[in-house]
Amino acid sequence: MALLSETLPPRFAHDSEAELARVLDFYQVSWRYEPDVFPISWSPAGAVIESFAPDFYLPELELYVELTTLRQALVRKKNRKLRLLRQLYPEVRVKLLYARDFRALMVKYGRLAFLLEMNGANGNGANGNGAPGHGANGKAAAR
Amino acid sequence: MSEATATTIHADVQEVLLTEDQIQARVAELGAQLNADFAGLEPVLISVLKGSIVFLADLVRSMELPLSIDIMEVSSYGAATETSGQVRILKDLSNPIEGRHVIVVEDIIDTGLTLNYLLRYLREKGPASLRICCLLDKPARRLTEIPIDYVGFTIPDRFVVGYGLDYGERYRNLPYVGVLRPSVYGLDNPEA
Repeated sequence: MALLSETLPPRFAHDSEAELARVLDFYQVSWRYEPDVFPISWSPAGAVIESFAPDFYLPELELYVELTTLRQALVRKKNRKLRLLRQLYPEVRVKLLYARDFRALMVKYGRLAFLLEMNGANGNGANGNGAPGHGANGKAAAR
Repeated sequence: MSEATATTIHADVQEVLLTEDQIQARVAELGAQLNADFAGLEPVLISVLKGSIVFLADLVRSMELPLSIDIMEVSSYGAATETSGQVRILKDLSNPIEGRHVIVVEDIIDTGLTLNYLLRYLREKGPASLRICCLLDKPARRLTEIPIDYVGFTIPDRFVVGYGLDYGERYRNLPYVGVLRPSVYGLDNPEA
């Protein structure tokens, strides 16, 4: 558990995860990256055949955060896993951030340029069609 | 939505979420509630720049209690030139709040990250009590579990401007709260 700036950063699976870590660091919210794995289905013999490892755990907030930048239409599998997780571990609080949620966060913080870069680097479509649109002006919404 | 408001909608606003009349009525209710809850006390209302100043201005004028006002400003992620930095107090309290009954006045609470930081900071100052009054609550975005004592409106997960809320420092002066057209911030289809 540490702020990213105080430790060697983990190897994030996606740029969006690194960006979320920076947001959490900025607001001094401690986090761990994929610290726990929750088994969610088992074979008849009792072997774990499916598990779910949320991207972040925020210990002070006792909250797991799973971030997905997949297109909305492709998150069904993740939704199913999350549903199982909640059924099996009702005491575990998990917040799923969809692509639209992450996008809104970036809009709020004036980080549309990051969305553009992320699309270029990863090609997985922050807005689902491979481009974040035009007019990304990088202005921060200084609320 | 009144006809007068409908005819003056900003071109960048997709729809009016809360009219001026709705806001004023609710602010008056919040003021009355605060009057009752803080009767006999002299609270200090702390506004967090910049978005909440319009709300604060209306809220205090709906309150009859003896009260004081203080202003804070904290840096925002993304607004800093370096995103690797940490949140900073840009404008600190002008007066001590130790032993005072504090009401934090916020324009909108979404992730709650800024407020979470601010509350930790204010608690260290030793207030007698610490309450939160926000005009807009957007719970769909919440990452932190912060009990909000006074909520003006719970709103859907839309990007809103007006009544102090901005995008790129614009639209703060709109008298209503409206949903900004996604094309303004470069997303043609935010639901995709």
